[in-house]
Amino acid sequence: MISNFITMNGYGLYVWLSFSVVFISCAIVYFRTKKTLKKYEQDFLMELQALTLEEKNKALENSKVAQQILATSSKVN
Amino acid sequence: MFNFFSSTNIYLLIQKLIKFINSIFFLILVIGLTFALILSPPDYLQGDAVRIMYVHVPSAWIGLACFSVITLLSVFNFIFKIKNFYFINKSIAPIGLLFTCLAIVTGSLWGQPTWGTWWAWDARLTSMVILMLFYIFYILTFKLLNKKELIIKVSSVIAIIGSINLPIIKYSVEWWTTLHQPASIKITGSNSIHSEMLLPLMVMLLVFLLYAALIFLMKYKTEIIRIKKKNINRN
Repeated sequence: MISNFITMNGYGLYVWLSFSVVFISCAIVYFRTKKTLKKYEQDFLMELQALTLEEKNKALENSKVAQQILATSSKVN
Repeated sequence: MFNFFSSTNIYLLIQKLIKFINSIFFLILVIGLTFALILSPPDYLQGDAVRIMYVHVPSAWIGLACFSVITLLSVFNFIFKIKNFYFINKSIAPIGLLFTCLAIVTGSLWGQPTWGTWWAWDARLTSMVILMLFYIFYILTFKLLNKKELIIKVSSVIAIIGSINLPIIKYSVEWWTTLHQPASIKITGSNSIHSEMLLPLMVMLLVFLLYAALIFLMKYKTEIIRIKKKNINRN
């Protein structure tokens, strides 16, 4: 039964190759997208931290998104 | 109501949606793969090669759906000048390109055991390659052009011209004699696919849709951060 599952009655090469191509491509795109997102979150945090306290407070007051990124910074790092 | 669509609210919603998709994705993936590779029956003619359908068909559908959304939003953007549509399109295009490429590759892998050839320049296959080229041109406008207004104009024109290809892809199997089989699943009319194969196909479609949504949300979130970063620099 396991041997039938692997060989797919002679079509194993095509079936497994198709599924592998799809899942490897999807995994690469997922990890690249996640990496880019994290990079932008970190860059944003660095820019925020480079501001003076007054500028930082102003930026945080004006932007809930900035607050959110700052709040989740522990996850980012 | 329009306040709900502010970048802040959208950002919070994106975070919740990403968490939700992450929490259910692997369970649905395992169910989908179990159905597709083990539980679904082999085809009476194609044997187990039919299992390629469970990755090929959802890929092709999502490839087509993404371009349809891009075209629709490009038209709306032309008329209503809503900036958000530009960022949505920019986030969707790579997903559409990925799934179109996957549909072509898996189609080729399915073609060899069933048609006896990896590739044929028939109407369906050629029109899918044209769709892939339109995706590449569309994405290149974001990479090569600098002015946002120009990017919106050029990318919208590419999307609208490319949309002519969508009905050609859909009806190519009816208008011309092709190696590709006619549609087995129809929105109107009866399906020529057995429910034992239709169910795994729908589960795999859900898996692919969740994956596409996850990538879209992550890319869109990146775009929002990019805008906020620019705003900080301006202040």
